[in-house]
Amino acid sequence: MLALVYFIILAVIAVGAALCVLLSKHPLYGALSLIVSMLSLAGIYGLLGSPFIGVVQVMVYAGAIMMLLTFVIMVLNSAKDGNTPRFDKVSLFVFPAVIALAGLLGFALVSVPFGFNAEAVRGSVAFTSSTLFNVEEGSRGYFILFEAIGVLLLSAMAAAILMAKRRIGYTASEKEEN
Amino acid sequence: MELQAIYVQILALVLFSIGILTAISRRNMFFVLMGVELALNAVNLSFIGFSKTFAGDLSVAGQIVPLFTIAVAAAEACVGLAMVILIFRNQESVDTDNYSGMKG
Repeated sequence: MLALVYFIILAVIAVGAALCVLLSKHPLYGALSLIVSMLSLAGIYGLLGSPFIGVVQVMVYAGAIMMLLTFVIMVLNSAKDGNTPRFDKVSLFVFPAVIALAGLLGFALVSVPFGFNAEAVRGSVAFTSSTLFNVEEGSRGYFILFEAIGVLLLSAMAAAILMAKRRIGYTASEKEEN
Repeated sequence: MELQAIYVQILALVLFSIGILTAISRRNMFFVLMGVELALNAVNLSFIGFSKTFAGDLSVAGQIVPLFTIAVAAAEACVGLAMVILIFRNQESVDTDNYSGMKG
């Protein structure tokens, strides 16, 4: 009963903040309400019995990714919509289409019976990390995926630096000469 | 009344719909990126909600996949924001309607 009350409170906060993202005018307000939505989702993860995912959500999503997004919004000064409207005529078709899709999916979800399993394992930090880094024979091999993710993040960082740089090999001393 | 697994899925569906709506109908580049992030979050929630319907070791797999999703989302945000900076430098605009350089 108490879990349901907590879930309803967190879900209302998450959906309200998501609606703020949809309707807000300035991207900075949208980013801040997106952070609120992500924090309440982290609470729901903890409530469902995956505190490790909740902590990673707070650290990586609400901490790192959204910090990067807010930073870029603040750096690009004219990030405001300006004279363009929030929604245009295309939205008239997008809204009913997405709502119809959601209705269909919701109908499919409700018509299939499933429930929580009482024997589900609580994803505590110790258990999740020991499953993730299990290198013994017969393990599921998540550590290989972990290494691949490391390479992906490194290459994404290199690509971001290469793209955001003005020109490859451009330095400050060169700028002074010009 | 107890917390049911279907409630979590309904919440994930609502958040996913709002994220898709934001990504498609808003015209500011940053809102498109934020909508994609919101949809990714909803998918993570759905994964965790479904993982709790299995017993034992199977329930751990559904909790580990969101970890990788979050890492991929971090890489996506990194590259996406670099592209936004690059396009903004060329076009001086964050309106997606102005990004029509590949129209031909």
